[in-house]
Amino acid sequence: MSPIKTISKNDLSNFINKLIADKTFDVVGVKSKGIRFVYDNLENANELRLDHDVTIIPPKKYFLPQYEKLMDFNLEKQYEVKPNDEMKSRIIIGMHPYDVIALEQMDKVYLDSQKDDFYKKRREKTLIIASDIQNVSDRSFASSMKTNITDKGFDLLLTKLENKYAVTIGSEKGKQLLEKYAKVENAKDLDIKNIEKFRKKTLNKYKKKVNESKEEWPSILVDNYNSGVWEERSDKCIECSSCTMVCPTCYCYDVKEELALNLKTGSRIRTWDGCLLRDFTKVGSGEVFREETKERYRHRFFRKGNYLPARYGFIACVGCGRCGIACLPDIADPSDVINSLSHHIRSDDTTKFFIKQETKVAETNTIHIPRKATIKKIEKLTEAEKLFEIEMDDKKPLGHKPGQFVEVSIFGIGEAPFGFASPPSEKPTFEIAVRKIGNVTSKLHEMSVGDKIGVRGPLGNGFDVKAMEGKNLLLTLGGIGMYPMRSLINYVLDKKNRKKFKQIIILYGAKRPKEVLFLNEIQEWKKCDDTTCKLTVDRCEHGECWDGDIGLITTLFPKIRADKLDSKNTLSIIIGPPVMYKFVIKCLQTLGIPDENIFVSLERRMKCGVGKCGHCQINGVYVCKEGPVFNYSQIKNLPEAFE
Amino acid sequence: MKQKPRVAVFDFADCEGCELEIADLEEEILDLLEIVDIVSFREVMKEHSDDYDIAIIEGSVMRPMDEKRLRDIRSKAKILVALGACATIGGVNKIRNQWMHDEVIRAVYGDAQVHGNPLFDVFKTKALNEIVPVDYYIHGCPIDRDEFKHVITALALGKKPEIPRYPVCVECKKNENICQFELGAYCLGPITRAGCKAICPTHNSPCEGCRGLIKKAETECVWEVLERYNLSYEDIRRRCTMYNYGKEECNVDE
Repeated sequence: MSPIKTISKNDLSNFINKLIADKTFDVVGVKSKGIRFVYDNLENANELRLDHDVTIIPPKKYFLPQYEKLMDFNLEKQYEVKPNDEMKSRIIIGMHPYDVIALEQMDKVYLDSQKDDFYKKRREKTLIIASDIQNVSDRSFASSMKTNITDKGFDLLLTKLENKYAVTIGSEKGKQLLEKYAKVENAKDLDIKNIEKFRKKTLNKYKKKVNESKEEWPSILVDNYNSGVWEERSDKCIECSSCTMVCPTCYCYDVKEELALNLKTGSRIRTWDGCLLRDFTKVGSGEVFREETKERYRHRFFRKGNYLPARYGFIACVGCGRCGIACLPDIADPSDVINSLSHHIRSDDTTKFFIKQETKVAETNTIHIPRKATIKKIEKLTEAEKLFEIEMDDKKPLGHKPGQFVEVSIFGIGEAPFGFASPPSEKPTFEIAVRKIGNVTSKLHEMSVGDKIGVRGPLGNGFDVKAMEGKNLLLTLGGIGMYPMRSLINYVLDKKNRKKFKQIIILYGAKRPKEVLFLNEIQEWKKCDDTTCKLTVDRCEHGECWDGDIGLITTLFPKIRADKLDSKNTLSIIIGPPVMYKFVIKCLQTLGIPDENIFVSLERRMKCGVGKCGHCQINGVYVCKEGPVFNYSQIKNLPEAFE
Repeated sequence: MKQKPRVAVFDFADCEGCELEIADLEEEILDLLEIVDIVSFREVMKEHSDDYDIAIIEGSVMRPMDEKRLRDIRSKAKILVALGACATIGGVNKIRNQWMHDEVIRAVYGDAQVHGNPLFDVFKTKALNEIVPVDYYIHGCPIDRDEFKHVITALALGKKPEIPRYPVCVECKKNENICQFELGAYCLGPITRAGCKAICPTHNSPCEGCRGLIKKAETECVWEVLERYNLSYEDIRRRCTMYNYGKEECNVDE
């Protein structure tokens, strides 16, 4: 059976009306909305506009809806969670090839090693009847992106011929759909020739083009990272993020809680977020990691033309032109941006903003629904900090490594990431230390033993403790960097493990004596064999009791006996506030420790924890996936890492 | 459960429309009463108590006697919430700030003898935060009921409400609206705080900026847009007069 059929205009209408009459699925298609076009439910085949140029927003709304309920929860019945499973089958009619290709790209992101269960369900329940482009949007440059035609990614593809349509069958499901609902004929040779003719004719309708082939984008962007173009263009940016909202390859999202007024029930929803918005990178402590408009503006283009290409191998712009239409100051069009960048130098190192890493991920049924857990013990550390012991209700240990993190949910309040403060354990318990900063942390501070929380994790890569064996360890920690470092220190100093490591030096800096954490444990650490532990505080007020050093963490380094330290055989690990890294790394370099031996744990806004939502990105790297632990030699060239 | 927070609702110079939005919660008002005790709410009840934790205030401040009353409420309330544009940014009441008081009074009351009457003793219209510290804001003219519910549930749970700090365009795009600029209209959406679900442009009416400006109308990027759409600075300034007279830009944290 030939994969190409033809259908008369009349029979196409009948086909679509039969689909609409079958109530087992929703039929959506492109309809007109005033002067523009949108995807919407079809009530009749005449509403379908296969002659559309482009829709206001792409069909991503059917796979990652603008507002999508992830789960319902009931605050009265402790931690009863019901995932949202109301997803009807759907047929989308009229998708242009560039939107089909954008969806295939989205599959790579959402169905990679950590599958998005909601996306997967929607995707499986959707059939795509694509349509070859008849009219080209003034802003489209799909022909430059080679996304104006496609031979896959659809179940059926309609191409307009004279008085009829060609139907290319793209899948078994598409074939069955035709057999069940449509009257078609086999395409003749002339029809097939006419399909090609039609596509060629459309090619002449493009008004915009990119001067360089899309394969050149990654290198053009690398060479222009510090170009003045970003500032020049972003000076006009209103920061409305319309460009990302209408983009078929922008899939970043935020997660929020919605509560019923009676405070008994609620739902967790996700909604589109945009990297042009200032709060996109904002973490609990208030820090914003892409503070300048220029940086956010540049990020969007790099994500499309360099970061995602490095990760997945495709250019994440399909040339639909929607951003060009939506952007009021007209600065968002990628074809204009690429054309305005200088192309003199060509760098071969196009993946320099990305770290390739094979991370093994535990198979889970869901990346969104937290596991139920119970607070077992609470210990007050300082005025603003508490240590929580948490037990998984299913009694299954998390199996975490030091340096990994968990997302803790308090339904009705939200979710926040915490590094493990306890060493790996075979028990179903773990510890997190919590400083009262935002909504989730404040609520945790109010909670009592026996209260229920939700847990997702372990997430992130964690420290490679095997690689640390046989080495000296120089551990530098500042402030709440103590939490995750404690997990590592208690692991390496554990009697069972201590012999595996050589000399251990711990340098710990806190702001004030009263902020020094785990002082009792530190006394125990000091007693361990071949272990040095030096403490310093930034300042000590009159009346405060302190017998350690006073000064910044860097003042501790001269006190290390450098002559006795085999620096080449020393691994150094740094965890602390963002401002600390630069200075500590300088000290380490003075000690002769090679960059490859330095490891850092970085903090960003880890929202989804599974490389989807986009908030924690440092250039092309997801902190939640490739991190939070990084080898310094790998990350030092990422401009956003230590800004 | 902890003791329910005691809530009092007050009004100053306003149309009481935002209070009406609360009263309009209909059956949900019973849910509201389950999580808070309403001890004063002139629009819907006779009872009144001065013992409250949360004061929700609609309206702008126009007179010395209002100022005194507002300070008194602030001294009694642990948490003060500004309700609606009149309270959060001054709103339509600020339109009159462009004229002298005498002119305004003459225009409204003609020859009636109001001089010396404290009810007519007005100063320039002020938003609440120009007189007392405001803890939380429920923006809009009128407010969005869902946002009211969000703020009230957050406060009942002891959580900081999350109010958008990005422009209306974000929500407008999600609603798949044709841009008002594309339709030849001009809209304050790009510089106005979201949270209203872009209700006006969704109903084909340009944004008037009732939730406050998060960017100055004078910034270069806005100029660029005006120029591209053949608009003058005067056009946008005039539109800003409706809700944002004399107020260049809101602190995004408001």
